[in-house]
Amino acid sequence: MIEIEALKKIHFLKELPDDILEKIGAVAQLETVDEEAILVRQDQKMNFVYMLVSGKILLNCRSASGKALTLDELSSGQSFGISAFIGESLSNFTAICPEKSTVITLSADQMIQLCEKDFKLGYTFMQQVVRMFKSRMDKHTRQFIHSLANHPDMV
Amino acid sequence: MVKIEDLKRINMLKAVPDHLLEIIAQEAHLSIFGTNTQLFSVGQRVDICYMLIMGQVALKVELHPDIDVILDNLQSGASFGPSAFLEGSKAPYTAVCQEPCEVITLFGPRMIEVFETNPELGYHLMTGVAGQYKRTIGARAQMIIKTLDSHPELKQSIDEIETLTPAY
Repeated sequence: MIEIEALKKIHFLKELPDDILEKIGAVAQLETVDEEAILVRQDQKMNFVYMLVSGKILLNCRSASGKALTLDELSSGQSFGISAFIGESLSNFTAICPEKSTVITLSADQMIQLCEKDFKLGYTFMQQVVRMFKSRMDKHTRQFIHSLANHPDMV
Repeated sequence: MVKIEDLKRINMLKAVPDHLLEIIAQEAHLSIFGTNTQLFSVGQRVDICYMLIMGQVALKVELHPDIDVILDNLQSGASFGPSAFLEGSKAPYTAVCQEPCEVITLFGPRMIEVFETNPELGYHLMTGVAGQYKRTIGARAQMIIKTLDSHPELKQSIDEIETLTPAY
């Protein structure tokens, strides 16, 4: 059980109304993870969404040629694994905590059950997922065009 | 009004139950567009979601006045403009028919009204839209990893690398 105020600090959830946050809070878990803990491995099925309350999470990936890349460093309020809500998902990344951290975890299966038991909640929640994905897609597109403009040789 | 069988050909609607497809069928329209028809352009408000039954549509962005970059060439079964189901969305690309196209259209503001009275439909349709975004984001993430693998120096020149990962 997680308090609404804690959920409101998570960027992905902060726009949702209190009655929905209350229901999410009832199925979410707060966990403390040790330094060097691995939350999910690359190519492993994603079953949970992870929301960072304090500490740090690195998203690393290994490319086809075996090179290790750190693509992102999450700070408090950020989440990953949201695609677990939309059918089966394999992680593109290994998520590792470089320091002791506190995370809120939300089971994708439990969240889907909640959405299908209460479609009003499901609609509002999935609308938020779509907003996040669209915003990310639009940023991808802008970044891609910006990169092409700076590297005309790639066109 | 369109046939349920036509809606079942649309990837985004594959998991929507039949009783909900019947409601969508009543709200949907079938249209034919000629080659080079511009359905919407960058920055324009998106009010209509388009679902392609037949033909090909290019999604493009202008790089320079004389160069367009094609982000995607959509074929039968694909959808575009699903952000019409969110209030106040603007198009991140221009959509142009590359050949004569048969398209199912749904008017976003009307569908938002329907979702308010039938949240089950809203939930399933939004899940379909999210699935479409998820597939595209996943494909782009793979492309980024592949590109950085062969050109690691690009990582330094990408100002917002964190916006390309699945963290929100």
